[in-house]
Amino acid sequence: MKFILRTFVIILPVALISFFYIYINDNDYYPGADYRNYDIPQFELTELYSKTNISNEDLEGTYLINVWASWCITCRVEHGFLAKLSNQNIPIIGINYKDEREDAIKWINKFGDPYKLIIHDYKGSLALDMGVTGAPETFLISDGEVLVNYRGEVNNMIWQDVFIPVITKYELFK
Amino acid sequence: MLIEIAQFLTILSTGLFFLNFLFAFFFDSSDRHMASLVSKVYTHSSLLLATSFFIYVWLAVSDNFSVLYIAQHSNSNLPTFYKITSIWSAHEGSMFLWILFLVLWGALFNFVTQNSQDLKVKSMGVISIIIVGFLLFLLLTSNPFETILPIAPVNGADINPVLQDPALAIHPPFLYMGYIGFVIAFAHAIAFMVEGNPSIKWESLVRTWSIAAWVFLTIGITLGSWWAYYELGWGGYWFWDPVENVALMPWLAATAFIHSLSVSSKSSSLRIWTILLSIIVFSLSLFGAFIVRSGIIDSVHSFANDPERGLYLLTFIGILIIGSMTLFSSRFSMLSSGSVIKTFSKESFISINNIFFGVLVFSTMLGILYPLIYESIYEQKISVGAPFYNAIFVPMAVLACIFLFFSIGAKWQRKLVISSFVNSISISVLISVFLVLLAYKLLSIHGTWELISIFAGSIIIVRYLFVIWDYLSNKKYSNPFSVIAHIGLGILMISISLNNELSTERALNIKINQSDTYQGYQIKLTDLKLVKQPNHDSIQAVFLVTDPIGNNFYLKPEKRKYFARGQITTETDIHVTLLKDIYITIGDQLKDGSWIVNIQFNYFIRWIWFSAIMMGFAGVMLIVSLNKAR
Repeated sequence: MKFILRTFVIILPVALISFFYIYINDNDYYPGADYRNYDIPQFELTELYSKTNISNEDLEGTYLINVWASWCITCRVEHGFLAKLSNQNIPIIGINYKDEREDAIKWINKFGDPYKLIIHDYKGSLALDMGVTGAPETFLISDGEVLVNYRGEVNNMIWQDVFIPVITKYELFK
Repeated sequence: MLIEIAQFLTILSTGLFFLNFLFAFFFDSSDRHMASLVSKVYTHSSLLLATSFFIYVWLAVSDNFSVLYIAQHSNSNLPTFYKITSIWSAHEGSMFLWILFLVLWGALFNFVTQNSQDLKVKSMGVISIIIVGFLLFLLLTSNPFETILPIAPVNGADINPVLQDPALAIHPPFLYMGYIGFVIAFAHAIAFMVEGNPSIKWESLVRTWSIAAWVFLTIGITLGSWWAYYELGWGGYWFWDPVENVALMPWLAATAFIHSLSVSSKSSSLRIWTILLSIIVFSLSLFGAFIVRSGIIDSVHSFANDPERGLYLLTFIGILIIGSMTLFSSRFSMLSSGSVIKTFSKESFISINNIFFGVLVFSTMLGILYPLIYESIYEQKISVGAPFYNAIFVPMAVLACIFLFFSIGAKWQRKLVISSFVNSISISVLISVFLVLLAYKLLSIHGTWELISIFAGSIIIVRYLFVIWDYLSNKKYSNPFSVIAHIGLGILMISISLNNELSTERALNIKINQSDTYQGYQIKLTDLKLVKQPNHDSIQAVFLVTDPIGNNFYLKPEKRKYFARGQITTETDIHVTLLKDIYITIGDQLKDGSWIVNIQFNYFIRWIWFSAIMMGFAGVMLIVSLNKAR
């Protein structure tokens, strides 16, 4: 009896910790990353600068969607990395989220524009349909289908660990 | 410059705490000079860390947005109070606060005890190394001092609006004080096992500390429950949210622990239980920190973050838990007291109580783990909710109450003679049966488990009233802390049952200047106002409510839009009466111009929190009396 108890008090925590260890090291586990595939929702919004209408038809091929706002401090931190991606000829569509048009334009003028085009989502309706919980958030999309979504700041580490495996798997950006 | 100084002080204190650990463990701890050195080094390193924290508070108050964390979570429009609380509104800052509290518990312990006290040096060593572990976690994976240079933003992104609330401002500090307060007991348990001298009464050294931590945890959980009720608009007191569960587990284990402590500090029986429980309580506190901060579980509390944090914390707490359990296992024979526990003695009832609490902790853990295991096998997300927990907690709680009922009047190391309490036992049962019948007939409560729980709660209360009566008329001594805490438990059982059966809610559609009735209450929407505040706009609805007797009162729920993040929140308004809350929220406006109005009658919900406060109060009184006796 004593022996069983003595081993049990060690085995139980070891089992528990190992479970979590395996769980965390599992490829699928990345807090903030979501690998579910779904089509981007129908929308009808305007472009930030030109105020021309944009809908699903205007988006094609493989690209990133990055949700940002001028009030979002993390977006500023992330901005430098987006510029690098843009320099590697990776198209990025911006969704300007719950922001005043002037504030957003001022922000872009100050920090640079890595975006191919920017959708002005003042009410956050498109973001809501896409399941955005806050800014920043980044989606990898190919032919209208979301392949991976990351909540939070995308930096080199996240790019390598979350996005590159998906890009390699589907052979994108070739 | 200040930022760098603060960071430097933190790094410096990390080094000093590590040095302290080396002093405590690798030099002769019975040496008087060594003991005084350990104590002094601890004091100085804690001063360094506290200074660093106060600089950080100053940075937040003075709107220094070149600090990334402050820029992300504060805003110059906030009142100073919320600038300070914004520090613990997210991961990095709250971790900093957690460490500050850990350091302060140790400092307080260091300050009030003699250097010659048994186990002190080694305990300080254990505390120091735990502090080092958390400080490295802070500095390496979640640095609150990170800056956005060269151009700092003009203004910060603001604290999450739902966190701009007084209850939330104090809820995390209380919880952290509770969680981390058990470090004193844990450190002593480790020191006791390392020293290997069974004649040291480590239990009496940690009793006050452990009860204090338990009081903090109890109040912290209660505050969280209250906040979720009125601020998140959830309209209930408990949701089996994973993060509520990781706070509940240490609380359950700690409750068992402080009961066990009261046994072991008198005689050395149950020592194995007490040591094991002290390790389990602290491990569960650390486990909670891991669950919340690794982002494993989706919850209102989770912090978005990167997996390195989870991995670091897991490794750190893994070493602590497995290490202490291995130590425990190797010292098993030293800890066995050899004394046999008599059946129906107070000790025997407390052992049974430990088993009940153990089962509850285990089941809660299972409820947290099951979705994760299921997900890794079937790649589907499921969630375990109230039905699972109710099916386990309700019967277990009822059983525990019944054992408690029969244990009242039990003596240490002596068999309880039930026959001497036959009168009070049978009268308590009769009165309770009568109360249950009343509840069935008058309040039409028909749920089986609700009726059983009311019975279980009421036998405890009535039985304790007998005990009080005995004390007042015959001066027969009884432990007043136990009486108050357990009457609190009885009230908790009854009020949860009544709340569950009686509470109702309804969504109404009301146009301005029109009214509707619900359960005899007339609700009239008299006005809609746009209220402008410095950091948000709000639509305030004014309802004139007339209760069945004809009394009038106003309720003013709001919908707010916060500028900084564009976030929309609903603010409830609540009319509190002795038996029930009238709880009202407004939803959206419909096309015909009417507003969706949600009205809830929440019965006995105040009594649930009141019972928790009673338990906490009993704990405070016990601490006071323990220290007077000394």
